[in-house]
Amino acid sequence: MTMVGYALELAQAALALLLAPGLVGLVRWLKARLQNRRGAPVWQPYWELAKLFQKEVVVSSNASWLFRVAPFVVFASTVAVTFLVPILAVPLPFDGVGDLLVVVYLLLLGTFFLSLAGLDPGSPFGGMGASREMTVAALAEPTVALAIFALALSAGSTNLGQIVARTMADPAAAVSPGHLLAFGALFIVTLAETGRLPIDNPATHLELTMIHEAMILEYSGRYLALIEWAAALKLLIFFSLLGNLFVPWGVSVVLTPAALAVAVVSLLAKLVVLAGVVAVLETRIAKLRLFRVPELLSVSFVLALLAVTSSFLLR
Amino acid sequence: MDSVFSQLCVLGSSLVLLFGLILLWRRGVSAYISAFAWQSIVLSGVTVVVAYFGNDHELYWVAACLLLLKGLVIPRLLRRMARRFAAERELEPYVNTATSLVVSGLLVLFGYAITRPLVALSQLPTRAGMPLAMGLILVSLFVVISRKKALTQVVGFLMLENGLALLAVLGTYGIPLIVELGVFLDVLMGFLVMQIFIYQIHETFESIDVEQLNRLRH
Repeated sequence: MTMVGYALELAQAALALLLAPGLVGLVRWLKARLQNRRGAPVWQPYWELAKLFQKEVVVSSNASWLFRVAPFVVFASTVAVTFLVPILAVPLPFDGVGDLLVVVYLLLLGTFFLSLAGLDPGSPFGGMGASREMTVAALAEPTVALAIFALALSAGSTNLGQIVARTMADPAAAVSPGHLLAFGALFIVTLAETGRLPIDNPATHLELTMIHEAMILEYSGRYLALIEWAAALKLLIFFSLLGNLFVPWGVSVVLTPAALAVAVVSLLAKLVVLAGVVAVLETRIAKLRLFRVPELLSVSFVLALLAVTSSFLLR
Repeated sequence: MDSVFSQLCVLGSSLVLLFGLILLWRRGVSAYISAFAWQSIVLSGVTVVVAYFGNDHELYWVAACLLLLKGLVIPRLLRRMARRFAAERELEPYVNTATSLVVSGLLVLFGYAITRPLVALSQLPTRAGMPLAMGLILVSLFVVISRKKALTQVVGFLMLENGLALLAVLGTYGIPLIVELGVFLDVLMGFLVMQIFIYQIHETFESIDVEQLNRLRH
């Protein structure tokens, strides 16, 4: 049983790593189709990653060891999160290793090192990007924790697997106001954390207002590939959190091949639906002015606060 | 059955409150108006739900009046006014957006705190929505005192009225139809009077910024 569980953990992480670039490609392709462009094929990001891994690395002579270490820290912390998040099945053997707080702080660790690496070579763009990223992260991280706390309160546990299992056992909870408000809050934060449109523009690194792209402007070769892959993985993690925490049906509770096949198919369906929503949203709306970003994030913070309040008082 | 009823009521009340909060984030006057219109539509939906589960046929009429008056007529009049004043934007409220959102979150918590005895005492399946209605009342009061344009203040006042209607529907399954009709008439009259005021303010100052009224002292 435990051996199977560990094998499943590995399979889940491997699946997430494999699917992540495809998810980014899918969002890009859908967006291109919506804007009447032909668009690059969905598997384009795989070729890009393969190309970047073969290229040589150019590092600024001002850069210290931190600059070289940061991509590995970012990638490793994001991969570690995939072991803790319920992507295919619950309960997992690593559920006891870390709960939602560990997930939030592992993600923050990656963000922190990326900002340090942005500051390290001393280029003005890197510093600008790092300061913006910290502004966004400082507002977004508490909201992630608070939004999932709203679910944890009604499930009685901060363990992500337990939350999924509880929501499956009690389907009426999925439409309770606490869950809906928390979904709204987490959705806004997902856009902020993964650098999607109203907050950051993922399509370009030619804008003065860019956030994520400004930080990684100095990177090249395999370092850049690791960072891009980690960013894609982060998108997949947030999408599967949105999909599995709020609409848990499909996640496998028994370790049979049939249930796991259903879990893979339902995961793919949820990812496609969320990718479609994000693509439509990115086509419909323009980027916010940088000074309005904290306002949007405070909307999501208030939503999360109300979600916690209503789950706490309406238990 | 009862659990479905109370779930729907809480859901509707949260949506009504949510439209009140959306309003705080938006800036354009037309965005304010459409937030108010959607809020009224959801409110009339909640009224229909209460009418269906509470078996009260008069409430259907109330819901229809709500939809007609606050969902269609008043938003249309408001839009006409906004067009006439060249859609002035609420660019600088007295309290900035981020702060006012946090303040309104706290106001909703305060609403929960003060309706606690009421919820504890009540046996109705709708009781869980009452704190949200109280929160909406407090938030719309905050909108009225923190915005500068007369038009946005009027929207705040109308939202306050929505909050009161929601509290009445949830707390008592609606008041008698004749009283409800009187309230609707009051709202319409109040709105018309405010409209005249706004026209006068615009005539005198060529702006509907109420800060200009301070000049009257000198």
